[in-house]
Amino acid sequence: MAGSFSRGRRYVLLLVLLCCFGVVLFRLFTLQVLQAAELSVKAHRQHQKTVSLEGARGTIIDRHGKLLAMNVEVRSVFGVPNALANPLKIAQQLSPILHVKTDELERKLRQNRSFVWLARKLDPEQGQQLDRLSLDGIGVVMEGRRFYPKGSLLAHVLGFSGMDGEGLEGVEHRYESYLRGEKQMMVLQRDALGRTVFPKGMAERSPTPGQSLTLTIDEVIQYIAERELEDAVGRSQAKSGTMIVLDPKTGAVLAMAVSPRFDPNAVSALGPDRWRNRALTDAYEPGSTMKAMMAAAAIEERVVRPNTMVFGEHGHMTVANTVIHDHERLGWVSFAQVIQKSSNIGAAKTGMALGEQRLYRYLQAFGFGQRTEIDLPGEGAGLVRNPRDWGRRSVASISIGQEIGVTPLQMVSAIAAIANGGVLMKPYVVSEIRDPDGHILRQIPPQVKRRVISPETARSVTRILEGVITDGTGTKAAIRGFRVAGKTGTAQKIDPRTGTYSVSRFIGSFTGYVPADNPQLAMIVVIDEPQGDAWGGAVAAPVFSRVGEQVLSYLGVPSNAPVTLAMAPRKS
Amino acid sequence: MKTLTVFLGLCLVFVFVWERVDVVRIGYQIERLKRDKTVLERQRDELRVKFSALSASDRVAKLATEKLGMSLPQQGQVIMVRSRPSDFHPSDIVPVELKIAKNYLPSRRF
Repeated sequence: MAGSFSRGRRYVLLLVLLCCFGVVLFRLFTLQVLQAAELSVKAHRQHQKTVSLEGARGTIIDRHGKLLAMNVEVRSVFGVPNALANPLKIAQQLSPILHVKTDELERKLRQNRSFVWLARKLDPEQGQQLDRLSLDGIGVVMEGRRFYPKGSLLAHVLGFSGMDGEGLEGVEHRYESYLRGEKQMMVLQRDALGRTVFPKGMAERSPTPGQSLTLTIDEVIQYIAERELEDAVGRSQAKSGTMIVLDPKTGAVLAMAVSPRFDPNAVSALGPDRWRNRALTDAYEPGSTMKAMMAAAAIEERVVRPNTMVFGEHGHMTVANTVIHDHERLGWVSFAQVIQKSSNIGAAKTGMALGEQRLYRYLQAFGFGQRTEIDLPGEGAGLVRNPRDWGRRSVASISIGQEIGVTPLQMVSAIAAIANGGVLMKPYVVSEIRDPDGHILRQIPPQVKRRVISPETARSVTRILEGVITDGTGTKAAIRGFRVAGKTGTAQKIDPRTGTYSVSRFIGSFTGYVPADNPQLAMIVVIDEPQGDAWGGAVAAPVFSRVGEQVLSYLGVPSNAPVTLAMAPRKS
Repeated sequence: MKTLTVFLGLCLVFVFVWERVDVVRIGYQIERLKRDKTVLERQRDELRVKFSALSASDRVAKLATEKLGMSLPQQGQVIMVRSRPSDFHPSDIVPVELKIAKNYLPSRRF
């Protein structure tokens, strides 16, 4: 009896075990065969993490290695609203650090979401304060933020980058493909606690940072130009101002200042009108500064010589039923005096003697009506109409800088061509591209565009333009101890209401180079709509003088002034 | 012989497990050092930006004028002179009128 009971229990036990084993087998079959693919993917996801990494954006430095733009990893803060017990309290704690109103933060933190950005790309100091708080439900991720440590200095040339790190303006935009860091997807192994481990055989490689740019700009010269331009625009209550400083021998831009300025660190509230680089986008009628190029063309073509006598018509001359005026009633004067006294009638007569085809050819040769091809975005070509479209007065008008649109960059490139002996150089702002380790990948050499005039003609024009400073309209551009050559310009703006020249709105400008006998600097100053005395010689020439003197001193260019600093006793 | 084989087998298993554990441990160390490196690099970059901002020309000029009472030299106060030729001897100087900074130094002949 006991034996049969025992056998029965054994069968039952065996059956139970078989059932259990069958369940396990079934489960095993389900997991390993039926759900194998799906579970394999899940396991893969749990143990491996794919992250997208991007190398830091390259730095931008000036010609002496001074830092102008750089990426720094900063904190961006997010909230997990679903995990927060008291959103109001958290919002009150975060508000003073993030500089965001408590109401706004609370509204974000009360949303029925699992992720919400609270602030992106904080300042390093804000990030440190945030770390000290250590709040539950508030997280931080690191993102690259572009810093422009010099603030508004050179902002119009540097441009700026957007929230996602892409260059939107200036050098940042033009050299985007070089500056941008390499993007790379990486697969990391994670343990049960979610920590990253690097198993044997797994190569780890950080994404390559972007390449760095060395500019031709000199931070000190840029500062001097911006300060003096800002001062002149403020004193004359002008609408805006532009100044460019070039090395006339190479075309390297040493400074490019635009007023009003802006801070590229806080650009979101500003419109294109503020960050547009007027030095190369805005065309204006140059007025009398154009006479320097017209003089060069006329002398090169042997239409005139500096001592050729020209009759000034006592200040009034009729051309194509319109009257051209001079501010001085001149009689017979030499061609050099025509330029020095900025005679419209003398220039118009010379231009007409040159003829429309030759005038047009020289306008093109000096680079007007075409982009200079500077390595900056948004450059305008100016406006030079084809002679087919010229009117009966056009030759006379263009000779005195009317009926033509030029950018400040075109004008300073043209004057630099006279300064360097007649060769038009391509202006440029980036001189070197370096890899992240600082090795030079590419050097950008000066580029000659073409010869425009002969060295002899350039010397003749230089002597004439020196007379503008010593005896003409540009006396305020003089720099003690240096020979200066240049030309003033005062152009009437077009009145948009009437379509005719305004009697109250002008552009005063001055362009020239120094020292005249061995030019180191070619500069242009353009002041848009100055109030009061709007003559180029009054508002722009002094800026040229002040900047020129300081920059020559900074560069250590010796003056011609007779100076003795230290002396020893005479030989006995 | 059989015992020795089992022992050697166990030793091999132990070495394998130990190696795997060590690899993971070193992996954690690498990750920690990498984090430290990232933090230090970030601090370096922040300091570089700070240095650049503090040495900006407009800031230096402002401090020089407002705190130290310095002023920009007026026109003519800075005169650059040409460097001496190599064969120049000071005793060869012919006396001329001193023209520099004459507001502060009386003109006189040596």
